[in-house]
Amino acid sequence: MSTDSVRAEAAARSPLWRLLALVPILLLIGAVGIFSATGSSVVDLVGVNPPPADELDIRRVEFRTDEIRVAVRNPQPESVSIASATVDEGIVPFTLDGPGDLGRLRGTTVVIPYPWIEGDPITVGVTTSSGVETVAEIAAAVPTPGVSGRSILGYALIGFLVGVVPVALGMAWLPSLRGVDPRWLAGFMALTAGLLTFLAVDAFGEGLAFAAVLPDAFGGLGLLVIGTAVSYLGLTWVAGRTARKTGVRGAPLSGLALAFMVAIGIGLHNLGEGLAIGSSFAVGELALGSFLIVGFMIQNITEGLGIAAPAAEGQRVRPGSMAALILIAGAPAIVGAWIGGFLTNEVLAVVFFGVAVGAAAQVVTEVGRHLMRRAAGGLTSGFVIGGFLSGLAIMYLTGLLIG
Amino acid sequence: MLAGAAPLVAAIPLAGVAVGPSLARGARETSIPSGAAHSHAAMVGQAVPAPGGPHDLDDLLYPPPARPARAGQVHEYEISAIDRQIEVAQGVFFDAWTYNGTVPGPIIRATEGEVLRVAFHNGGEHPHTIHFHGIHPANMDGVFEIVNPGDSFTYEFAALPAGMHVYHCHSTPLKKHIHKGLYGVFIVDPPKPRPPAQELVMVMNGFDTDGDGENNFYTVNGRAFFHSRYPIRVSRKQTVRIYLANFTEFDLINSFHLHGDLFRYYPTGTTDRFEHTDTVMQCQGERGIVEIDFSHTGLFMFHAHQTEFAELGWMGFFDVHDGAPGS
Repeated sequence: MSTDSVRAEAAARSPLWRLLALVPILLLIGAVGIFSATGSSVVDLVGVNPPPADELDIRRVEFRTDEIRVAVRNPQPESVSIASATVDEGIVPFTLDGPGDLGRLRGTTVVIPYPWIEGDPITVGVTTSSGVETVAEIAAAVPTPGVSGRSILGYALIGFLVGVVPVALGMAWLPSLRGVDPRWLAGFMALTAGLLTFLAVDAFGEGLAFAAVLPDAFGGLGLLVIGTAVSYLGLTWVAGRTARKTGVRGAPLSGLALAFMVAIGIGLHNLGEGLAIGSSFAVGELALGSFLIVGFMIQNITEGLGIAAPAAEGQRVRPGSMAALILIAGAPAIVGAWIGGFLTNEVLAVVFFGVAVGAAAQVVTEVGRHLMRRAAGGLTSGFVIGGFLSGLAIMYLTGLLIG
Repeated sequence: MLAGAAPLVAAIPLAGVAVGPSLARGARETSIPSGAAHSHAAMVGQAVPAPGGPHDLDDLLYPPPARPARAGQVHEYEISAIDRQIEVAQGVFFDAWTYNGTVPGPIIRATEGEVLRVAFHNGGEHPHTIHFHGIHPANMDGVFEIVNPGDSFTYEFAALPAGMHVYHCHSTPLKKHIHKGLYGVFIVDPPKPRPPAQELVMVMNGFDTDGDGENNFYTVNGRAFFHSRYPIRVSRKQTVRIYLANFTEFDLINSFHLHGDLFRYYPTGTTDRFEHTDTVMQCQGERGIVEIDFSHTGLFMFHAHQTEFAELGWMGFFDVHDGAPGS
C-alpha cells in the first residue's frame, strides 16, 4: 500500500473518527447526569456530608483614614452571607462594597468606619449568617497607600531602585569583563547560571507560598507548574528561532542574543519580586526601610553582572542595546510593584512566579549549552564549577541582607 | 377542676415566632440620631445592628403580673423542648435548643405556696429535663427523670421559697444543654405582694455560634444590641424592678451596670437586705432583684461591665420619661 492510499483512506474515515471521539464525552455527560439525579443517595451509603465550614478567606485588610477595608472571598462550594463584623472582639457597624451573599469564590469588601490606632496590633473578624467568625490578626496597623499620583510614583521609584538601578550598575562591569581571560569569562558565565538557578528556586518557593494561601479550588500548585512550563517552553521556542536566524540550527546562543535571554529571565523574576515587595509593603507586612532597599540593590547588582558576562563575549554592545537589556531585566520590578501595591491577586502572583521559574530555568539551560560547546574544558572545568558555586553563594549571602 | 381556676399559660410551640399584638407599654422605636460613626451614639437607635422588630422580645422582657396568694391552688404551665434556629444578632442564626421556641424560655411565675404543675414535652432530638431551683422533692428535681425525645413528664411541687429563681435542663453534657439555650427564670412572689413597680426580666447569656468554646455574642434575653436599637421606656415616677439572672456559659461571670443612677440589689430576692450600687456581678445560675428609682429622665445605658461583653451585644438603654408608668 502506498503512502498516498493510506492518507486517502484516513481522510475518508476521518469524519467518523471525529464523531467517535465525542463518544467518551457524551458517556461522561450521561454518567454525570445519572449521578446528579440520584441526589445524595450515593453519599448516604457511607455516611452524611458534614455541614459547610462557612469560613471566609480574608484576602487583604487595608487601613484608610478612620476606615478599615476587609477584602473577603468565599472559598467553599456553598454560598455564604456576611452578617457581622468585629474589630478587636467588638461588634462594629459596617457596609459592604460588593455583594453580601457570596457564591463560590466570589468576593466582597467589608467597609468598617473605625478610628484605628497607627502601630497597634489589631484583629478584624467577619462573621457569616451561620455564626462562624473568620479572624485576621494584623501585627501593626499602618495606613495603606491608595492609588494616587504620589503612590504610583512611590512604587515606581521602589521598583526602579531595586530593579533598574542595580542591573545598570552591574552592567558597568562589561568593559572590564571584555579584558579578562576566556577561562575567567567562562567562570563568570557559570556564575550567571548559578545565580539564575538560585533565582529559579527562590521564585518557586515564593510561588508555593502564594499558592498555599489560595483556596484549593484555584489549584495553586497546578498554576505554578503550568506557568513554569509555558515560560520554559516559550523561551525555548524563542531561543530556537533566534539561533536559526543567526545561523546553525540547534546551535547554542551566544553573545548579545544570550545576554538578551538572560535579561528576559532576570526580568521575569524581577516582576515577581516587585509584586512581592509591593504587596507586602501595602498590607503592612514589610518594613521597606533603607536597609532593605540597599539589600535588594546589592543582591540585584549581581544580576547586572550576569547579563554583562555573555555580552562581553560578543561584539561591542551599542548604547541602545545596553539600555534595552537594562530595561528588560530591571523595569518589570516597577510593574510588579504597582500590581502588588494596588491589587490583591494571588492567582496572578502564582502565575508570575511560575513564569519566573520557567524563564530562569530555561536561561540556565541556554547558558549551560553555551558553556558546554564554547568554554575551554566544557562544563567540567574548574572555572565553570567554581563560577556556578560562586553564583549560588553570592545570591545566598546577599539574600541574607533582605531576609 | 383546680386547673380551671388557674390561667393556662399558652404553650403553643413556636410561641416566640408569632409574637402577638404588642403590650401597651412595649418598647418603642426611638428616633435617635445615629450620630458619629464610632461613638456610643452609633450604638443606639435605628443604626444599631439588632435583629427583629421592636416588640419581638416583649414576652421575655415583661413578666406576667403577680397573682394574689392562693395557697394549695394549682397553677399550670406547658413547656415543650423545641430545636429551632434563632436569630441572635442581626443576620446571624444559631441552632438552638429551646423551651417553647425562645432563649431564654418562658417566664414562670407563681405565688409562694401555690402548686406548680409543669407539663413538659420533649419535642427535640435529644434527651432533656427541667431542673428548677428552689425547694421541692427529689423526684421533681429534673435530674434523674430524663425525658427522651417524644416523651413527656409533669413536674408538680409547691412554689417555694419566695424570691427569684431559675430553671434549666439538667441532661448531660450539661454545658452543651445550657449553652444551646435550655434555661429560663422562675419568679416566686411573696404572699404579701411586693410594692407596685414597672417589672422587667433580664436573662444575661451568650452564644458560641462557631463552636470554638468562646461566646461570639452576648445578650440579654437572646438578641445582641436589641435594647440599644429599641430602648426600654420606663417612667421616673415608679420603681423599675428587674428580675436579673445570669446563664452565660463559658465565661465565669457576667455583670449588670447602670448609668446615671444607683439601684438596690437583693441577691436571690429572698430577703430585704440589699446593696446600693450601680454594678453587680453574677456567676452562672446566680440571680437577684434590681430596683431602680430613676432621678432623671433621658437615655441611660445599661450593659455588662465586662466591656468585651458589652461590645459583643450586651448593652441597652432605658428611655426614662416623666409620664405615667406604662405610658
